[in-house]
This record gives sequence, structure tokens and C-alpha cells, in this order.
Amino acid sequence: MIRVEFFLILAALLFTIGCVGVLIRRNVIVMLMCVEVMLNSVNLTFVAFAREGQSMTGHVFVFFVMTVAAAEAAVGLAIVIALFRRRRTTDVDDANLMRW
Amino acid sequence: MHLLTGWIVALLLLALMRPFFPDRPLLTTLVPAALALAVLLIYPRDLLLFEFWAGAVGFVAILSALLVVMHPNPMISVLFLILHLFCIALFYLMLQAQVLAALQVIVYAGAIMVLFVFVVMLLNLKAEEGLRLGRGFQRTGGLLVGTVFAGLMFWAIRHRQDRPYFDPGAFVEGFGTAKDLGFLLYGRYVFAFEAASILLVAAMVGAVVLAKRRLQ
Repeated sequence: MIRVEFFLILAALLFTIGCVGVLIRRNVIVMLMCVEVMLNSVNLTFVAFAREGQSMTGHVFVFFVMTVAAAEAAVGLAIVIALFRRRRTTDVDDANLMRW
Repeated sequence: MHLLTGWIVALLLLALMRPFFPDRPLLTTLVPAALALAVLLIYPRDLLLFEFWAGAVGFVAILSALLVVMHPNPMISVLFLILHLFCIALFYLMLQAQVLAALQVIVYAGAIMVLFVFVVMLLNLKAEEGLRLGRGFQRTGGLLVGTVFAGLMFWAIRHRQDRPYFDPGAFVEGFGTAKDLGFLLYGRYVFAFEAASILLVAAMVGAVVLAKRRLQ
């Protein structure tokens, strides 16, 4: 027997780790990976709640989150490549053209 | 209790990651591994328990997520993210979401992570010296936001109204199979499903345009 809280707390921990990673790391690729960690923790919450409520709708949500994550990764990495080509860096502090 | 044994065994078996730290003495590998074996010999039936595996996999998931965030070399980060995604796929299996577990391995650990590995190799990124973690206010602000956020989530989880147990061994009929997911995707959510295809096409066009050297 296991409580659904186990999965919720685990997902909360993973989300926090990813969130802090996005905030403190300065490498764009690592930041994108931290976003993936956050998306996965949310997916885990969806699946845990779907199992608890015995409803498949959570699985459909996870499916769409995966789709969006794929699109996000493709576009994000294309931006990283374009940035690297112009500036020879993947550091977000060097890409401050549009900063006020 | 059984959750705890899982954590301990996973922690001790971490010592087997010796190839990542070649300069460590051999004793630090052998002693924790022997301790892990001892714990398993004292509680051999834990190996058949759901809680044991949930604890062990959860420990590996958290640790690999931490390494993704903290490791100075992006390539090692990518590899630990793949390990993390496999752990999440194992959790999907535990929660009876077989299709999603398969999709997680194929789409996430397969396709998306190949993209990440490809870009890291293409840009030939070196490990950062001294691990740049933003300026002072960014670091403290990030940690503060993380702490507040984690506290809020734990508070919300503590104050849920219903706290049911569920039996992980019990198989729920008509739940988590490809058939059930397909019925929903092509029935109630068919419009969202088609919209997702448009999203993917748009993302593909955007990626090609962005990564192009010169637009004609």
C-alpha cells in the first residue's frame, strides 16, 4: 500500500530542483534541461492523480505535455544554435540585446 | 519503513558509480556495496515490495535531477537527465500507465534527448570552470523562490481533503492501456489531438527557419 502523497511530494521536490536550476544556471542548454525536469515532474503528478481518481484524462494531458515538450525542445535548441553562431557562447548573460 | 530500506540500498549502491570518480580509493566502493548487500540480506522480502522499489527509484530520480542542475559539464548533465527520464518511466509503470511509460522512453529518452546530445556535441561545449551560477542576487533569489515554492507545494499537499491509499498491486480494468488512451484521443479529445499536429508542424518550421544560416 502506498499513498498518492509519496508521488506528489516527489514531484514537488523534482519541480523545485528544476525551478532552482532554471533560475541559477546560466547555460542555455542546461536551463532547457531543467525545464524538461519540471515538465516531467508535472507529468508525474498528472499520472499519480489519474491513478488515484481512476480517470484516463490525466494520461491524455501527459500526452499533450509530451508533444509540447518536443516542440519546445526543437525550437529552443534551434535558438541556441542561432545564438551560438552569432555570439560563440551559450551563456544567457551574453545575450542581453533586448534587455532594458 | 520499506520505503526507507529502498532509499538506503539505493544510497549504498551509489558507490558502484566508481567509473565516474576514478580517483577514489577502492575501499569506499566496496564497503557501501557490502553494506547494501547486508541490508538486502536482512530484509530479503523487501525486494518484492512496491514501497522498496518506489523508494529506490525515487532516490535515483532526485539524485539524477540534482546532478542535472549541479554538474558543470553539459554532456554529463544530459546523460543524467536520460537516467532521470528512465526513473520517471518506471514510476509511470508503477502507476499503471503502460502506454505513457513506453512513450516516455521512446519520445523523451529517445528523440528529445538525442536532440540535446546532438546539440551539445555540435557546439562542442566544454565544462564550465568553477560552475557559473549567476550573480549574487540571482543565486540567492533563485534559492529563495525555490524554498518558498517547495514550502507552498508541501503545504498544499498536506492540506488535501481526501488521502486515500491505493493498492499498487491491484489492476484496474480498462485503465492505462493503448486501447483506453486511443479511445480518448480519437474520441473526446480529437480536436486537441489535431491541434497538437499543427503545433508540431509550426515548431518544425520555426526550428528550420531559426537554425538556417541565411534566409533567402
